[in-house]
Amino acid sequence: MEYSVLTVDRLTKSYGDRLILRSVSLTIAPGERVALVGPSGCGKTTLLNCLGGVDRPDGGKILLDRTDITGLSSDELAALRREQIGTIFQFFHLLPTLTAFENVELPLQLLNIPLRERRERVEKLLARVKLSHRAAAFPGQLSGGEMQRVAIARALANRPALLLADEPTGNLDSANGENILNLLAEISDESQAALLMVTHSTEAARICHRVIHMLDGVITGETSPA
Amino acid sequence: MNPPRPPALLYLLLRRFTLRHWRSAPRTTALQIFILALGIAVFFSIRLANRAAVASFQNFTGLLTQQSDWQISAPAGELPVGTLEEIRTALGGEPVEILPVVETSGTRPPENLDEHIGAREQFSLLGIDLVAVQNIASAGGNDQDWFTQEPGEGKVGTGNDFWGLLRKTNTVFVSSALAQKNHLHVGDRFRIVIDENIAPLEIAGVIPMSPGRPAPPENLLVFDLPVLQRLAHREGRLNRIEFIVPDGADLNGRRQTLKEKLASLSHDRWQILSPDDRRAAAETMTRAFRLNLTILSLIGLLVGLYLIFQSLDGAVVRRREEIGILRSLGVTEKSIRRAWLLEATLLGFMGGIFGALIGWGGAQLAVQLVGRTVNALYFATTARSAHLDTGEFFVAIALAVGASLVAGWWPARQAAKIPPAQMLSRVAENQEPVTVFQSAPVAIALLLLAVVLTLLPPLRFSGALRFPLGGYAAALAVIFGGGLLCGRWLRMLGKYLHFAGNYSVSARLAAGHLAKSSSRHRMAAAGLLCAVTMAAGMIILVDSFEVTMRGWIDHTFQADLYISSGGAQSASSDSRISPVTWRAIVADPAIAEASVMQSAAIQIKGLSTMLVGVDLAFSRHYNNLTWLQPPLDEKIFTDDLPENYGLISESFSDRFRVRRGDLIAIPTPAGEKNITLAGVFSDYGNERGSLVIPRRRFAQWFGDERATSLILMTQTNLVPEEVQQEISVKYPGLSILTNRHLRSEILRIFRQTFSVTYALEFIGIAVAVIGLGMTLSSILLDRRTELTTLRALGFRRDELALATAVEGALLALSGVLTGIMASLCLGWILIYVINKQSFGWTLQFSIPWLALTELGALVVVAGTLAAYLVGRRGSNLAADHEE
Repeated sequence: MEYSVLTVDRLTKSYGDRLILRSVSLTIAPGERVALVGPSGCGKTTLLNCLGGVDRPDGGKILLDRTDITGLSSDELAALRREQIGTIFQFFHLLPTLTAFENVELPLQLLNIPLRERRERVEKLLARVKLSHRAAAFPGQLSGGEMQRVAIARALANRPALLLADEPTGNLDSANGENILNLLAEISDESQAALLMVTHSTEAARICHRVIHMLDGVITGETSPA
Repeated sequence: MNPPRPPALLYLLLRRFTLRHWRSAPRTTALQIFILALGIAVFFSIRLANRAAVASFQNFTGLLTQQSDWQISAPAGELPVGTLEEIRTALGGEPVEILPVVETSGTRPPENLDEHIGAREQFSLLGIDLVAVQNIASAGGNDQDWFTQEPGEGKVGTGNDFWGLLRKTNTVFVSSALAQKNHLHVGDRFRIVIDENIAPLEIAGVIPMSPGRPAPPENLLVFDLPVLQRLAHREGRLNRIEFIVPDGADLNGRRQTLKEKLASLSHDRWQILSPDDRRAAAETMTRAFRLNLTILSLIGLLVGLYLIFQSLDGAVVRRREEIGILRSLGVTEKSIRRAWLLEATLLGFMGGIFGALIGWGGAQLAVQLVGRTVNALYFATTARSAHLDTGEFFVAIALAVGASLVAGWWPARQAAKIPPAQMLSRVAENQEPVTVFQSAPVAIALLLLAVVLTLLPPLRFSGALRFPLGGYAAALAVIFGGGLLCGRWLRMLGKYLHFAGNYSVSARLAAGHLAKSSSRHRMAAAGLLCAVTMAAGMIILVDSFEVTMRGWIDHTFQADLYISSGGAQSASSDSRISPVTWRAIVADPAIAEASVMQSAAIQIKGLSTMLVGVDLAFSRHYNNLTWLQPPLDEKIFTDDLPENYGLISESFSDRFRVRRGDLIAIPTPAGEKNITLAGVFSDYGNERGSLVIPRRRFAQWFGDERATSLILMTQTNLVPEEVQQEISVKYPGLSILTNRHLRSEILRIFRQTFSVTYALEFIGIAVAVIGLGMTLSSILLDRRTELTTLRALGFRRDELALATAVEGALLALSGVLTGIMASLCLGWILIYVINKQSFGWTLQFSIPWLALTELGALVVVAGTLAAYLVGRRGSNLAADHEE
């Protein structure tokens, strides 16, 4: 049987009376890029939050690297996010008090990586996203594209097995969006991290190997990118 | 790779987040620290002042020689000098130093008849056997010398004519501080009032400093024992005798043996106390007063706590995205909580340091105010300044950190508990973190709890200290309950004022914001409510006290003239008027009727109280006692009944838990006497309580006819002021007050007693108004996108500032209205529960509507102004401006 980084099995989640996820199941292999598409409110972000351990499902299982994360405690989930997951947000969510360098460095500090190694890795990551020259800038001094590149570098800093991206180009113009998508594809290939990307855009889905469609909390089908 | 250990992670969060937020908003941070510091400073200054006032009640002989091991004093009145010889004989050749002591007080001579009571410089007079003192110093290897001092800069000196010096009349040793201040030298003369006489004194030298002991207080005058006995008309009498056991083997054993011998000789004629016992007695005497002042001083701290809570809670809202990101990156709940608590700790630490320093400065002022009250009501205190020691400094810091942690606990919990998904969600951005603090049922439950708590009896401790725990808890429940209801008002105000938006766009904005007010709005209003409730509650208490006092004064003080010794300037003064003098005054043809009052401090069940001898017939004639339980039989007003009857004040009744009809045993120099208590009267003059007996009986038991005061009715055809003038010419050492002057002085001293509370109220209100400004400032920061939009729409700065001002005014109005309503409950609790249980005084409830309206108006105006200034500044905020 082929190894999966992520296995989701009949996941359900509701807020009050409103059922958001209805028995969602999927698998992702290492290095695989999967796009999750669907209209607003279909449950994409909720699924992503559950997979990232920042929200808890009501039922079903999430196996990340063969570990069922649904039964983990809050601290264990925190450790999991710290070590195995990288997240990229639509609104970048860079920490405003930290420079670009420090934002990228933060996950490494949480892993207690020694200073020298940390610096080397951050420099490489910033170079990889072509932002070495903006290392000292604060988020408020960066453009949208630059902020998202910093966010990508930060998501990759802990060398995650799974990258979760929530509309990574949703807040960027088309040129910057194009660059970011190319960067994500390259990085995913290089790092062999599985990528699950939530998107509205079929254009964004083109860098993925598979496209999963969601509607009203249910996976309605799977296609190849156009 | 192992995750960083908690301290390393905490350090990282501190360095990269907390401190950077502080740096990015230095003014907000400084204001937070300042508010906490102010709260701590108020509490700390009162604490230091209290300590200084009590510490100044010291054993002066301990400053001159070494601290005595034991001292004996009469449980009532003074010790006859024969006691000294009796003890010397009984102790035989035992190596014990025995120091007889006379202690009293004196003042500078009066300058005019209209001066304020207590306005004159007061001196503590100590009469002691100087030869013995010198011997003790020499035996202890102490080089202090009373008789061979060289004159030096700022010092006075004497020659070395030992016997010549002692033979001189009226010689006195002064403190170095007094000599320096008044440029005094040996041989200089000055006059002071002792009892009713103006005594000329000649300076013999400066009181020598003892190594390792504090400097003598500035106003201490030391006499050779016989000199002071003569000047104070205490020939043959001593206030106490002190005993010093010389150092050597088995010191404790010898001390104990001495105590046992003194006890076996006593036969209840004296009580044996250690210096610590005496100091403890002074502390006990003022404990209720100090406790109440301390609790009042917590107003500022409590309001500060509200604001720190609100500030940290607001910061959680502002930084929720950051917290969400940290959580999504793998930072645990525990680490987030610890980071917030660390932030609270740091705020507390810095607030504590600044608070201690500001408080130390404030204590120098407070010590004068507290000292005046202690002086007027309890005992002579010489406190002039408050000292800051390391222990106290750490107490202030610990209190600040503790308070800050209490305030930070809820926000820290919220920061840690909110799911990261919710924090990162833009939709949830405006979600309110604080929910339990908005609950109307919780508010009503707190108010009902307050009612139950007022029914609890006080806790009773040693020294007859009664602590109204239920009353204080009820007061807190009212304040917190009112705080919760305040938020409801806020929304109602916003809704009802919505119509104003038809006339003013600024009002529309403000009403809209209040109608959907946030937890920060509510917390700011609750902070104001807390300050207003406590300040208005105190105003009600003081007014009720004053109304009651006025009624009591009208009833009690009906005579034309009141005479006391010019040296008697405080409650504890034992200055007296000699029988020769008072008899001459009473016999003066200008005097129609007179009542002579005698008094002495006595000990009952180990507690000090006042035994007062008055002419009961005079009291009955003028009906000058306000009865709580009147005597059932008029015969008790007859002076020469065979039975012993007494009347007690309300405080006495409460303190010793006795009522009309009870029998009480009291010590007198003539032995223990049983007294039947015939009635209870109101007395707001002292909280130690008074037991009133016929004066003749007092004189008989104490073998003393010296009067404490005279109450005189002048002939109806004479003007009292002219009689006052006439008596003052004959007896310049007496203090003679007309009825009008005495009444105004009592009210002046009464108001002066509460001067500290006014200062504390003002600071509490100031902290709350600053907090309101802080809140609005922080709210505007959150609304920066809205502000940018409004400016883009064409709003002018002054319109935006006005909108904030209206918002601030309504916030203040909500806090004031609810606060004044809550203050009526608090005032009731203060008067009928806390005051009654602490001091045993029954007061008449009075609501000073005008003063409450003025307070409310002041707070609303100050709040509006603060809001306008914040609004002016905030209207410039750019959309991307950070904290």
